[in-house]
Amino acid sequence: MSDALKILQEGLVKARTESSPQQILDLIPYSSFIGAEAKIEGTEVLYWLDRRPSNIGNPSLPAIHGGVIGGFLELSAAIEILYTLDVNEVPKVVDFSLDYLRPGRFKTIYANCIVLRQGRKLVNVSVTAWQDSSDTPIATARCHFLIT
Amino acid sequence: MDLRLAIFKPMLKIAMERTGHGAALGFQLTKVGRGEVEMTFPYKEEVIGNPVTGVVHGGVIVSLLDTCCGSAAITTLTSAAVTPTMDLRLDYMHPAEPHKPIYVAAKVYRNTSNVMFCRGSAWQDDPENPIAHCVATFMKVETPSISLTNIIRRRFNRLIKGDKAFEQEANK
Repeated sequence: MSDALKILQEGLVKARTESSPQQILDLIPYSSFIGAEAKIEGTEVLYWLDRRPSNIGNPSLPAIHGGVIGGFLELSAAIEILYTLDVNEVPKVVDFSLDYLRPGRFKTIYANCIVLRQGRKLVNVSVTAWQDSSDTPIATARCHFLIT
Repeated sequence: MDLRLAIFKPMLKIAMERTGHGAALGFQLTKVGRGEVEMTFPYKEEVIGNPVTGVVHGGVIVSLLDTCCGSAAITTLTSAAVTPTMDLRLDYMHPAEPHKPIYVAAKVYRNTSNVMFCRGSAWQDDPENPIAHCVATFMKVETPSISLTNIIRRRFNRLIKGDKAFEQEANK
C-alpha cells in the first residue's frame, strides 16, 4: 500500500470517529484551492464555500464562477460518500449533471447532499446549493460515482 | 477577417484569464473564433482531487468546460447581453493523467433566439480519446447592466466604498 493511500485511509477513519468531515476536506488540495468547508449539523453534513475574490466568474456583477459552483458540488458529493459510506478510496466520478437555478452572488454558498442509491459499484448522489435560504436553491446537481 | 472578433478576442482573453477564478486556475485561451473556443490548462498541484494518484479534481474540468462553453456562447452574441448557464452535463470517460496539460475545446452547435446549445470536450494526448465530454445550454438575456457606463459606475462605487459596495451588490 502506498504511503499516500495509507495517509488517506487513516485520515478517513479519524474523521469518522471524531465526526469531523472537515478533516477529509483537508486531505484534498482542491478543497483549499476553492475554500470549501464542512461541518456536522443535526444528522446531516453541511458544506459551505465562503466568498473569496479568486472564485469570481463575472467581475462586473460580481458573481461566483459557475465552474466553482460545479466543482464545489462535485467535491461535496465525494466527501459525503467518503464520510457517510464505508468507502476507503476516493470515488471516481462518472457523470455530473448541473442545473443553475439562480445566479451565485458574491457571498457564502451552502450545500447538502443526499445519497439516493448505493449499489456495489455505483453511488448516485444529489446535491443542492443555496445562499439566502434553502428554499431558494441556486443550483442542483446529481452525480454518479464508481466506488471500489 | 472579422473586425469585431479581432477587437473582441483580446477583451475576452483578459476577462477570462486575468480575473477571478480564471486567474486562480491559470489557463490560456488559445483559439477564439465565432462560436468556437479552445483552451489549455497546465497541470497544477493546488488542484489535486485525489491525493493518492495526484489526479486533478473533477471540479477543475467543470470549471474549464464551463468557461470554454461560456466563452464560445459569448462569441456568438451580436448585442449587449449576458449568457448565464442553464445547465451543464459532464461525462468523465477516463481520469486525467497527472503532470500533463489538459486541452479543452467547445463549440456552439445551435444558436436560437433565446438559447444556445454548446458541446465541449477535454483531452490530454489524443482529441479522439477525451477525458471528459460535456453539453451545456446558455440563455441569452439582453441587459443594460453590462453597458460600459454601468460598469464604470460600479467600479467607481467599489473604489470609494470598498468591501461595502460588494456587500450591497450581493444583496441587491
